[in-house]
Amino acid sequence: MASKRRHDSGGKVDIPMAPMIDIVFQLLIFFMLQLKIMAPEGNFDINMPLGQSSQQSSDAPLVPDIKVKMISDANGNLAQLKFGERNLGVGDGAFEALGAEVLKIIGTPGNPATKDIEVEIDADYELHYEYVIKAVSHCTGKIDPQTKQLVRYVEKIKFAPPRLPKNG
Amino acid sequence: MAKRRLNHTSVIEPDMTPMIDIVFQLLTFFMVVINFENTKADERVKLPKDLLAKPPEVKPAEELVLNVGFDRDLSGRKLSDEPIVFYSGDKYTINNFGPMLEQEKRLAEAKGGKGAIDDTTVILRADSEVPTGKIQELIRKCQEIGYTQFSLKAISEE
Repeated sequence: MASKRRHDSGGKVDIPMAPMIDIVFQLLIFFMLQLKIMAPEGNFDINMPLGQSSQQSSDAPLVPDIKVKMISDANGNLAQLKFGERNLGVGDGAFEALGAEVLKIIGTPGNPATKDIEVEIDADYELHYEYVIKAVSHCTGKIDPQTKQLVRYVEKIKFAPPRLPKNG
Repeated sequence: MAKRRLNHTSVIEPDMTPMIDIVFQLLTFFMVVINFENTKADERVKLPKDLLAKPPEVKPAEELVLNVGFDRDLSGRKLSDEPIVFYSGDKYTINNFGPMLEQEKRLAEAKGGKGAIDDTTVILRADSEVPTGKIQELIRKCQEIGYTQFSLKAISEE
């Protein structure tokens, strides 16, 4: 076959490119339309089997669970952030203080004695979800400014039983 | 022009090679950049931003993505204060979402057998302004169906 072609004509063999170009353009258009430009998303895992938040465990842990209380105003903005009974205030400084308090309790990040410690988030019904994510984030850990790596504080996060709305 | 018509009777063929090169490069670019995993994400949900929100290293075996947000106009203003679950092209209030969760459970069990939802993680993609109580109500509904693992989504903030 190859030798026949070489003998028949000295010119180059023309492969029809049109069907391939058609398909390639269709693929290109498909992928262009499918593309959604979205920022990368991350997860915060919480483990909540039914009833866990309301019942007490029979085995007393070495370190008591951390309770974070978040009080909102009528518009859903954070009015007070409390670590146990201590008021940490509002704003970014309060969340930084929360992270520092959690670190104080666990000692050093990755400490095996405190790895089973849980943080219970007790938020008002109206509070905007973004504040809860901030609190979860600051309890979970922080980014080390030098290494840019995640330093993990607490892995177990749970919610307290839901509160009722303030306006009934 | 007239001279060319007289000299050549054959068709003039433009060189297609550079165009094909570019098209293939574009195709490769879009194929690499495209993310089919985010197809369940709803663009109407304005997720909270957080520094620690990094994509998970281990993907859950099965996941149920729930998008909770608000009806918004084009400028992004809320049309109603009632949070809505965007599910399969429809909108449900959180109170009315129970039957859909039952349906998801039946589908998961038909696919993976009884107890399949034990391995399913509920991914909550909630708008930053949704009241926390509403999210907890939704979590409670999921718990009543049998889901135990939850994951809260946030946008990675650089």
